[in-house]
This record gives sequence, C-alpha cells and structure tokens, in this order.
Amino acid sequence: MGLVLRGAADVVGGFGVWRMWWMLAKNDVVRRYRRSRVGQLWLTLSMAALIFGMGAVYASLFGTSMADYLPHLGTSLVLWGLIASTITESCSGFTDNENIIRQISLPRFTYLLRTIARNIFVFAHNLIILPILYLLTNSPINWAALLFIPGLLIVIANIAWIGYILAIVSARFRDIPQIVASVIQIAFFISPVVFKPSQLRFDHPVLVLNPFASMLDVMREPLLGNLPSASSYLILLGLLIVGWGLTLAFAGKYSHRVVYWL
Amino acid sequence: MAYICLEDASVELAVYNARGRALKSELLRRTVGGGLQDARDNAVQVVKALSQVSFKANDGDRIGLVGGNGAGKSTLLRVLSRVYPPTSGRAIIEGRVSSLIDLSMGMDTDATGYDNIEMRGIMLGLNRKQAQALIPDIEEFSELGEFLSLPIRTYSSGMMLRLAFAVSTAVHPDILIIDEIIGAGDAAFAEKAQKRLHSLIEKASIMFLASHDNATIERLCTRTLWMKGGKLMMDGTPDVVLAAYKADSPDERLQA
Repeated sequence: MGLVLRGAADVVGGFGVWRMWWMLAKNDVVRRYRRSRVGQLWLTLSMAALIFGMGAVYASLFGTSMADYLPHLGTSLVLWGLIASTITESCSGFTDNENIIRQISLPRFTYLLRTIARNIFVFAHNLIILPILYLLTNSPINWAALLFIPGLLIVIANIAWIGYILAIVSARFRDIPQIVASVIQIAFFISPVVFKPSQLRFDHPVLVLNPFASMLDVMREPLLGNLPSASSYLILLGLLIVGWGLTLAFAGKYSHRVVYWL
Repeated sequence: MAYICLEDASVELAVYNARGRALKSELLRRTVGGGLQDARDNAVQVVKALSQVSFKANDGDRIGLVGGNGAGKSTLLRVLSRVYPPTSGRAIIEGRVSSLIDLSMGMDTDATGYDNIEMRGIMLGLNRKQAQALIPDIEEFSELGEFLSLPIRTYSSGMMLRLAFAVSTAVHPDILIIDEIIGAGDAAFAEKAQKRLHSLIEKASIMFLASHDNATIERLCTRTLWMKGGKLMMDGTPDVVLAAYKADSPDERLQA
C-alpha cells in the first residue's frame, strides 16, 4: 500500500508541474516542423495521403465502395496513430529526458505527460482530416459522436499506465523499445484498423482478447454514428483499474531508481 | 531557511555493460541459472559512489568540496540537488535548489534566444510571466543584443555559453550547487561572470562548490568537506581541511 501511495504521489506531482510538460510538449511539435514551409500541416498531409492511398487499395481488395470504406479506414488510422505512437514513444520517455532528469528533480510522471501531451497535439492536427472525410463520403453524424470524448479519455488513461511501465523498464533494459515496436506492428494487423470488426464474428478472440480492438471501438464507432459495444467499455474500465493499481505499485518501487539507469 | 541533513547517505551505482542492459541476457541469467554463467562476465557491477556520508548544513554555510577524481564529489552534489535519492540512509534537503552542473540543460538549438530564456525559466519552476521578467536582466548581462531573436544554433560557442550562464544564474535559489567555477568567454566577460556568480553566492542561503582549485575554495568557502573513495574524510574550516588534503595527496599539482 505504501508503494501505491508513493506511485500516486509521483503521478499527482507530475500533473502539478503542468507548465513544464506543456511547454516541452508544445516545443516538441513546433521544433519538428519549424524549418519546413508547410509547418505543422505536414502531419495532416501525410496522414491524408496514407488514408486515401490505403483506402483505394483495400476498398477494391475487400470489394466495397470507397464511400463505404473510407470513413472506417480514415478514422481508424487517425486513432491508431494516437495509440501506437504514444505507446512506442513512451519507451523513450525517460531516456530522451536524460539531461533534465540528471539535473533537476521532478516527478517522473512529468516526462510521460510530455510524451502523451505531444501525441495529443499531433493527434489534434490529424483530427482535422475526419470532418472533411465525412463530408466527402456523406458519412452520417449523430449525437453518438459525443461519446467520442469519454472514449478518448478512457483510452488515454489506459495508455498512460502502459506507457509509464514501459518507460521504467525501457530505462533499465534497452532492448524493450524494439520489442514494443514489433508488438505494436503486429497489433496493427490483428486489430480492426484496416478491416472492419463486422467482418469477423462478434466474439472472435481478436476482438475480445485484444484491448486495442476495444480502444478503437469506443473512439471510432461514435464518430461513425454507431454506439460502441458495452463490452468494450467494461474491458477498458477493468484494465484501467487493474493496470493503474499495478503501475502505481511498480512505479512506487522503481521510479526513483530510474536516474541510476540512465 | 534552507537546511540540509545527511544521515549515513550512501549511493550505490550499478554500472551495466551491453549485456546487462539487455532483457534477453537478464532472462537467460534468471532462467538458465548459474550453469551457463561465465565467471568473467560482469554484466552488472556495483560501484559504491558514496558511502555513509553524514553532515548537516545550515543557513550561511559556504561549503567547499575537495577530493581527487572519482572521490564522489559530483555524486554528492547530485544527492544535494535531489537528483540522486540515496540508496540507503537519509537525505533531508529543505529549500529551493539550483545547480550549475550542466549549464546548457534543456536548451533547444532551433529556438531563439528569447524562447530559450522562457523555457529555462519554466524549467526552474517559474511561470510564464516570471520567466519573461528575466529577459531584461539577461539581455543586459549577456550583451547578445539582437542575436537573442535568432535561433541559438547560429551562435558561436562563446555566445552560447554567455546565454547559458546568464540564464542559469538569473534565478536566486536557496541552495546553490556549483561544480567548478566556470570561466565564460573573453577576459572582460569572465570578470563580469565572476561578479555575477559572487552575488549569486552571496544571496544563496547555502552554497556548495566542488573544485580542484584550492585557492578558490579558500577564497569563497567558510567550511570544507574532503571526500575520498566515496567517504567523507574530514569536515572543518578550509585551512585545516586543505592542509590535511594536501598532506594526503603527494601529487605536485595539488601543492600549487
């Protein structure tokens, strides 16, 4: 219990120094595109190119029309981008901030918040594509879209604990980031990003045992005018509670040692 | 008021080689057991960088740290700046700490001088307004003029150092930690830098200075700690401690 409290103090403290991670995250995005003419639009343009390129190929592979397939693919890719890049970048959450960690003492969760905030900023840029896509394809939008916000929050809360654990173990074992990168790569193909969940039986293990499927479900379906399944919420809520419980104990035990591993 | 109390504080650093860094070899070690282990394979070595150091420091203390290379001075400074939590023992540090160990921490070479000032201010715990309030002082001290609105990658290394030094010394901490006095830039600027550093030291409640230059220690400090092999050998007034330290190290450089 003491460990959990110590971990919780670290997380709360991380939110406390919001100025720091907000500034660092903002600067990360600005720096990436500072010297290019189109600036931050690059993010959006490359995502749009990916959506239309893949859309053209897979719509004909699956034998459906672009109008039917593009909203699904576009939404999924944008959302997947958030999930995948936040998790992979979390691995270097501490190693990338080595020079700061070795000089000033801040709650460790600060650096995770930097990674998460940066990815949300990038995600916000990509999100602009979706309304345009829905207009072009005449995709229905209804009140269910409001469920996107709680969906996004519960997904980010889950990614945050996964990222925190990964950041700690990646500081100690430097081969973890490569392992995570390949796991995420595999997860892309077995999660309903390219294909639609309706193309599988509703209780197919790829949809039930794969938390990424639930994450996509609670964010994507509201945007496409459908209701997410209740089981997705239950899975994510369960993961959230168990995951954060474990993470706080783990962080309480190991996060102060991170500086010695850098 | 600032206060520091170390009780038997020790720091054990694990030094990993490439194998100790890999999850694969860790798993092999745990599962396969000792059978496959090579006696010469020191994947993880433990170094006792600081061993059972105890002392107290109060308001007004100007403390010099002396000792050879690898004596644990920098490790102790890191403990004092709350970066290294002691692996055993206790360290109570009350007051706002600022260290001049790595002046260029968190500087973004693609951002302008002004942006960097603001960013560093926020890293030092200020809000945006307070950070912007540092600008006039830094403008005046660094003498960088219009260069401050250019990205700092266009700066010469001397200009970069001026900016880093100006920003690092713009905020007055309770506990000031210095690893060697830095001479910044040309002679005229170096003199200005010394002045600024001295006023920073004067305003600090407690100051720690690790240095190989005994004259500087004698000039600036009222108390001296002598470190050797991670242990605190002696704690007393500079003349007494420096005499003992010189007597212990026959190296001629230190006699100078």
